[in-house]
Amino acid sequence: MAESGWDHLLLYGHSWRKDFFRSLVNFNFFGPHAVAGLSKSGELSILLSHPWDSDFLAGRVDARIAWNPNLRKSLEDFASGKTAIAGLELMEQQFTLAFHDPVSATAAIERLRRVKTAEEIEILKQAAVLADLGYGHFVDTAKVGMPEYELVAEVEAFLKSHGAEDNFMLIASGGTEVFGMRPPNDRRLMKGDNLITELTPQVNGYYAQICRTVVLGDPSPNQQRSFEIFHEAQQAAQSFLKPGVNIRDVARVQNDVFRREGFGEFTGSKYTRVRGHNLGLHPDENPYVLEDVDCLVEKGMVLIAHPNTYLPLSGYMVFGDTLVVTDDGCVSLNQTEKKLFSKEV
Amino acid sequence: MKRGLITWDKSEIPSAVFERRIERVRRLLADRQLLAVVVYSELWRSNQARFLSNYTPYFNRALLIVPDRQPQTLLCGLSPRVYSWIRSVTTIEDVRPAGNFAKPLFELAAERNWTRIGILDDPQLPYDIYKAIHSGPLEVVNVEGSALYVPAEDQTELMMRRKTAAMARSILADELPKGVGGIDHHLVGRLEGRFRRAGAEDLITLVTTGDGVPAPPAGKTLEENYSVSLALEYRGHWVRLSRPQASAQVLSDCKAGFEQTLDRLQPGPKPNLASPDVTLSSRARPFLIEDLGGSYPYELRTGSIFALHVQFQVEGKSLFYGDTCWRNEAGPQIL
Repeated sequence: MAESGWDHLLLYGHSWRKDFFRSLVNFNFFGPHAVAGLSKSGELSILLSHPWDSDFLAGRVDARIAWNPNLRKSLEDFASGKTAIAGLELMEQQFTLAFHDPVSATAAIERLRRVKTAEEIEILKQAAVLADLGYGHFVDTAKVGMPEYELVAEVEAFLKSHGAEDNFMLIASGGTEVFGMRPPNDRRLMKGDNLITELTPQVNGYYAQICRTVVLGDPSPNQQRSFEIFHEAQQAAQSFLKPGVNIRDVARVQNDVFRREGFGEFTGSKYTRVRGHNLGLHPDENPYVLEDVDCLVEKGMVLIAHPNTYLPLSGYMVFGDTLVVTDDGCVSLNQTEKKLFSKEV
Repeated sequence: MKRGLITWDKSEIPSAVFERRIERVRRLLADRQLLAVVVYSELWRSNQARFLSNYTPYFNRALLIVPDRQPQTLLCGLSPRVYSWIRSVTTIEDVRPAGNFAKPLFELAAERNWTRIGILDDPQLPYDIYKAIHSGPLEVVNVEGSALYVPAEDQTELMMRRKTAAMARSILADELPKGVGGIDHHLVGRLEGRFRRAGAEDLITLVTTGDGVPAPPAGKTLEENYSVSLALEYRGHWVRLSRPQASAQVLSDCKAGFEQTLDRLQPGPKPNLASPDVTLSSRARPFLIEDLGGSYPYELRTGSIFALHVQFQVEGKSLFYGDTCWRNEAGPQIL
């Protein structure tokens, strides 16, 4: 704040994107809006839009707490001086009218959030443990004839019972007709399906992720060959990742495996999104692991490397672990076996 | 976060319902001399676009564009790989990549010779999208959300909200007694399983053991008296409910107190919405109203769908009873 000449720094959150707010005040507000305001002298104010949030926080944090269903009114307290807002882009335009000329602090705060503290890494380890347990439950529960959404219901129930605050989860099932993941539908699982999931439980605000594929029945030669490519690509990223390397090269080493195998075209945006991304208070944080993203890796970053994409061998496949960058490399926070799972039917 | 079943069951909401809704939009466009209206959608503000198209996002942002003559277009931040899925669960055929939203909107406007468009609740657009659109060549007119979305005038909307509320009441009545003596996380887990197996898209569960307001579960043991407050989404239709776990007599008293509070919302001056401390009688009873129609700040008017939660003190513990209601010309009613 001092370097930037900001008088106030506001961290804004709404019901879907609570992460900027929670990076300063790790409170899972009910909503719909919350703002943490920091003055240049270090005074903390918390503005809430739901009275239950205000009642809950009262006496629990050393801050001025106020609630008003009209957030614009509350924000007027910060109207004087130079105000920077992390999450400005997410904020309703009408709220920004409280300020003369608000500045975006989004990129600056994202940079600060990118490298995790030891305490944050401990929380992420707990989330990764839950991801492993959740994936085990996913495999145990999946069976031929079960609709996708019922399987997801069972996993959600399991994760919440074990203390997950939330979970971001995508799924798909089938074969070469599957081009990506989405929310569950009512398709019933069939023998021979690739059953793929990206499971991302949240513990105390922080998300860890795991991606795995299970085949219902004996894997076909094409499913096995496909998995070997994904496994090698993910391992290439994990072996390469260390402080000082560039994120674009973390993407490149994964894509190179596909190129070498003759599947280079399936590393582009037509068939895939990213080769991984940072994790933290949002399940899909910057930087995205792509060959056109220029960002140096630092110790303490936590990210998933997942070469998830479509291959004509067996359709969309997923495989990835949550990795924490150490002094001279990285370690996986997931303990789930790195294999193509299969389940007898 | 949405990860339940997102689908379009045409036996619940036939295509003709959406056609009627779009016809209403087109009449409004004609009245206001607009060639199209833009509706913003994202994970936590999906109500208006869902009402017009059945589009419910699971991630990312989107703009639904409803022209005066042509079919709807969705500018979507999701990957083109899920466009076929979007088409399968919505009335939308034309799905396009969003980019920064403004550029593809301007391109579409240029294709169709639009120079003046409406944006539903324009001041509520996210700052970056607002700035991008307003710095472009189009004349933009704000269209207030209440001009297009009046739940009380749409029987299907009311029917779906009733169905969702009935699901919430039934499952809570069944599960709350089973929670006594257990951990709040376990109760919340069971509720997740029950609701999602029943087809729910999203569920947020708050719990209180009676020593404060409902809040996310924290590993506490649930004793004889506790309360759960739910936000439940089924087929894109949100409801809110609070229920206490208590003896049949206390539950009955809370229900009666809730109905009395609801009745008193009807006559006289309207309370300040969302105020938790409005006292309506000498028996001080804090209550809270939440808007469920997408307007913000809260404004209760005929046609509004809202939730009312009433707080009771029973043997030193706070119990919460709440339900989803709507207001017609006769006054507030439980949905």
